[in-house]
This record gives sequence, structure tokens and C-alpha cells, in this order.
Amino acid sequence: MATLSSLSLAAPRATANVPDSKNGGLVKTPYLNQPWKRVSQMGSRRMQVMRPVRAAPDRISEKVEKSIKEAQELCSDDPASGECVAAWDEVEELSAAASHARDKKKDSDPLENYCKDNPETDECRTYDN
Amino acid sequence: MAVPTVCTTQSLSSTCSISAPAKTHLGFHQKQVVFYRRTTKRGGGSCVITCSAADSQTVVIGLAADSGCGKSTFMRRLTSVFGGAAEPPKGGNPDSNTLISDMTTVICLDDYHSLDRTGRKEKGVTALDPRANDFDLMYEQVKALKSGIAVDKPIYNHVTGLLDPPELIKPPKILVIEGLHPMFDERVRDLLDFSIYLDISNEVKFAWKIQRDMAERGHSLESIKASIESRKPDFDAYIDPQKQYADAVIEVLPTQLIPDDNEGKVLRVRLIMKEGVEHFSPVYLFDEGSTISWIPCGRKLTCSYPGIKFHYGPDAYFSNEVSILEMDGQFDRLDELIYVESHLSNTSTKFYGEVTQQMLKHADFPGSNNGTGFFQTIVGLKIRDLYEQITSSKTAASLEATKA
Repeated sequence: MATLSSLSLAAPRATANVPDSKNGGLVKTPYLNQPWKRVSQMGSRRMQVMRPVRAAPDRISEKVEKSIKEAQELCSDDPASGECVAAWDEVEELSAAASHARDKKKDSDPLENYCKDNPETDECRTYDN
Repeated sequence: MAVPTVCTTQSLSSTCSISAPAKTHLGFHQKQVVFYRRTTKRGGGSCVITCSAADSQTVVIGLAADSGCGKSTFMRRLTSVFGGAAEPPKGGNPDSNTLISDMTTVICLDDYHSLDRTGRKEKGVTALDPRANDFDLMYEQVKALKSGIAVDKPIYNHVTGLLDPPELIKPPKILVIEGLHPMFDERVRDLLDFSIYLDISNEVKFAWKIQRDMAERGHSLESIKASIESRKPDFDAYIDPQKQYADAVIEVLPTQLIPDDNEGKVLRVRLIMKEGVEHFSPVYLFDEGSTISWIPCGRKLTCSYPGIKFHYGPDAYFSNEVSILEMDGQFDRLDELIYVESHLSNTSTKFYGEVTQQMLKHADFPGSNNGTGFFQTIVGLKIRDLYEQITSSKTAASLEATKA
């Protein structure tokens, strides 16, 4: 018992659900023995929460992929039909949109974007004289 | 800046008073209609007083090219020649295609699609097909903007493929309409003060699209090739014929300096300029109207492989008389650029080295080391010159009218 409490005192990062160990001796807490596991578990949990928010270029990339598959399917029957041509035109349009999104993302600096809309905030003030 | 405003009363009653301020929240270039209701027991008539600013002339430029052919790069170079960076309208739809700077507003003609993506899929029609575009609305709105009236322009969202609620566009000093069909409709064509067509040859187009799309998941060489091939019939039928109407055509071909080159890095670019266009004088080499072949690399200038080759001469293009300035090769160093610029005439620069300076300002843009960027910059300067000529001639005319 004394070892348990000393363990919990010595390792303040240990989570509260330290299991009550009847063996005494080694405490089989995955977090204490392998702290890297704890970090990654917390990380993956955080990532799961963030999943619904996706950056625009990824969304467009998925659309491009889907449209290519669709076009290839439609055109396998009749390459000269209106549907096939319209499908490949859609692929072209989405590829162009994806390329523009990539360029925009490459150029954009988060601080510059924020300061463009809020020039009076402390981070964005400029002193010219 | 003194703005002469002309106010005319279109009413027979003499008790109307003119109380129209010269400047409204909508800006100078605004046709302003003020209604004044006479408060008498007879139930009033109302007088209409229209005030129009005399300098509300909007110069309209048309730019045509297929998708992925450098329209956006050209737009950025053009707006930079006039100063300032063009940005999407603040506080509006984030997927808006419009770009606004101090002097220019760039409108993407995709906003005049009459069918959205699902509509086109149902009908089996591409965006290149005139049936997918509303030319009547395009004509109405460009005409309105040209006469100084603001319009509510629809927005075509390229991400969702839907037509979004319209945005307000105020008439700018220079309006650029870029897209697939600026010169397709005859009425719109007559509104354009200057028109440009970017003609990219098939091999170069293929190379550029590979560069653009290979980074995209899902794309392969076959899918890129299939996409180009299947759009080609519509492109040849509807878009390509517009080049005969353009005042300037920038034609991009594979180089002739490297035999069997298929990388598409070195390009041969031809600037085809129509003769006899008002306010536009073509660029020439050494002697206007003669035929010149020029290799600048030699004793005074050393160039690396494959070097630079120029050609200039008069020609006929679709039964129009034209002058063609052609550049094959690449610029590697600053002194090559300035050397070439100093030997060209009629470039409409305001100071020695302006073309070079503009090219260096945007050294990260594609085409900054070859004829595409070079000629795009020169066309930008020509448009500036055209704008200044038109505005000075209009103010001169209005001053004469007020004197008389």
C-alpha cells in the first residue's frame, strides 16, 4: 500500500484510475509503465473528435477522385455520348478547382489573413514612423 | 479631382428642386436617380432627376482561354501592372470568382452558367457548350457595368457546382471578363474595348495539365488524356473560333530549338496583334512592317542552351492583317531580359526596364522565364496604354461639350 501511494505521489502525471493492485509491487497501469502509449491514446482520441472538420483542398480532392471513377464508368459503354463528355468536363472543372485551392493554401499566411480582417488588434498593429 | 456632373431634369414642373449630392455611398461611377415627390394636395407628380458623372467610362477587356491555360496568371500580371493586388470581395461569398483591386474588377464568365453541374450532367452538356450559358444576362450586365450601373451578378460555385445567390458588382474603371466565351456572343463582343485569346497548342496543354493534375490523387496519365480528348470536340466547335475575333492572340507552341523535345519546358510563344485596332499599336522589332529574324545571343550577350530566338513580321491571320512577334527559348538571367526589352519598340512602357521590372516582381509566377510571361506583361502594358488613351479622349470630348 505504501508503495502504491508513493508511486502515485512520485508520478503526478499518472491518471486517477490507477487500478487497485492486490499483488503489491508492479502496478499494471499501461500509462505509468509505457507513457508513450498514454500520449498516443490521448492523441488519437483528440483526432477522433476533430474528424468532422476537413480542410477544403481535401474535400475537393475526394470529389476529383470520385468524378474520375464516375467518368471512367460512364465512358466504358460509349465514349462519344453526351454523358461521358459531360463527366470528363466535370473532372476537368474539379481538377482546376483543386489546383486553385492548393495554390491559395500555399500562398496564405494565417497571420496575414487574420490581420487583413482585423488590423486594429495588437498582433497586427504596424508602426511606420 | 473635379468631377463635372451633368444633371438633367426630365419633368415639366418648375417647382422641382435638385438636391442630388455628387457623391453617394455607392461611389463616383454611379448613375444616380433621385426621386422627389411634390407635396401638394393634388396628389403628387414626381420629378426624376438623373445625374451621371461624366467620367463614368468603364473600359471592358475580354480574355478567352480554355481551363488550365493561364488565365489566372494573366489576370494577376494585368492587375499588377495597374498597381495593387486583386482580391475576392471582402465579406462576401468565400467561393466567389470575382477579383477586385483599385482600378480593376475581374469577372469570371462561369458565373453566367445557366445550368449548374447536375443540370449539365442530366442534359449531357459540357460547360463549353453555349447551351449551358446565359448570354442574354451576360450582355445585359456587361452593358450595365459599362454604362456605370452596378449589377447583382450570380455566382457559380466551382466547389459545389451550384449557382449561389448573387453578389453586388460596382462598375470599376477597368472591367475584365475572363472565361470560355467572352467573344462568342456578338453583342458582348461589340462591348469589348480590347480582347485577348490564349491559344495553347495540344502538346503544351497536355504537358501543363499533367503538371497540374499529377499531384492529385485519382488522376493518372490516361485520365488526363481522356479528359482532354473528350472535351476537344466541344472546344474546337465553340471556343477555338473565338480567336479570329481577338485583337491579340498569345499562341503557345512547343519549341523549335530543341529537336524532339517533349518535356514542354522551353516554349515558342507568338504574339499575334491585329492591325488597325483603335488605341492599340502593335509592338515591333527594329523596323515596323518589315520581317526580322533576330538571335540576341552573340558577342554582346551570352545565353545558355538553348538560347533565344526572335521573329517579327506582318502576316494574315483568319483574313485579318496582323503583326506577329515571336519568341522561342528561355530567359535565364536578368541581363537577357533587359537586353531584349531595350531592342523592342512600342512596348508602351513608362520608363526604361518596366517590362523587366514587372517580370521580376512576379518571378514566381509560371512562365516568368519565357515568352508567355513576357508577352502577357507587354499586353498588360498595352492595355494600360489603351485605358489611358480612352479616358483622356473621353474627358477631352466632355470638356469640349461643356465649353460649347
